Amino acid sequence: VSAVRVGRRVELTVEAEGEAAAREVVERLARELFSNPLIEAFAIELLDGVAVP
Amino acid sequence: VTRIGVVVFPGSNCDLDTLRGLELAGAEAVPLWHEQGSVDGCAAVVLPGGFAYGDYLRAGVIARFSPVMRAISAFAADGGLVLGICNGFQVIAEAGLVPGALLRNRGLRFLGRDVRIVAERLDTPFTSLVGERRPLQMPIAHGEGCYFADDETLDELERDGQVLFRYVHADGNPAAADGDPANPNGSLRAIAGVLNARGNVAGLMPHPERAADRLLGSDDGLPILRSLVEAAARAEREPALAAIR
Repeated sequence: VSAVRVGRRVELTVEAEGEAAAREVVERLARELFSNPLIEAFAIELLDGVAVP
Repeated sequence: VTRIGVVVFPGSNCDLDTLRGLELAGAEAVPLWHEQGSVDGCAAVVLPGGFAYGDYLRAGVIARFSPVMRAISAFAADGGLVLGICNGFQVIAEAGLVPGALLRNRGLRFLGRDVRIVAERLDTPFTSLVGERRPLQMPIAHGEGCYFADDETLDELERDGQVLFRYVHADGNPAAADGDPANPNGSLRAIAGVLNARGNVAGLMPHPERAADRLLGSDDGLPILRSLVEAAARAEREPALAAIR
């Protein structure tokens, strides 16, 4: 083994007006709460988009 | 008598020691519950050690969103004196009140032992009564105390006199950044404490309140607490002057 990386995976269910609005919410949480931008990086991935009537 | 507040988060565990240390230093020390939205007329605020909100997610991050922290951020923005010790340092770093971040100790283990630090500046509200650049002996007790900032920020901190404390050997010689038992958490440039740019907010990992009485093996922490009490008393008397600082 030459390298190991340990990360944190957070799955969120977000209700929002479309993907852009959902990303905005998640991005803010990632920046202010889930990561410290001085020492950590994060990536956001949409797993499943469901239209709510 | 000057009133100084000590924040109590769920999980704070040095609050009583800090209240006692401040009383020994001549203040009227009062607890500030995390749910209150004001600093209650205190002339200075200390954030004590512990594990605020269990240190879930990352040390200090959840505490940052508490009502009392919003009040403390506003207080600091007005020039109010704020000192963060250990977990309190982690909280104010997460809140962006001081630069940098505290990473896992270089050796990945929790460390509880005495260290020695020197005050790099003797003209601040937190060190004015330290008197000289001599090694101060006091304990550390933390798992995440490795001070980190990028090189550019570290250069700025050194240039602008924002490095407040450094880890040193018993003879006062500076500790190395890596692999030096005198800097057991591996802090970059052996930084043990920093100031904000304005000079009214400071954080350090070692515990001055646990070295505030000879009975505890050292009273080298007392001059730090006494400096804060004196500066707070001055701020009370001359609020306009304090705001300029």
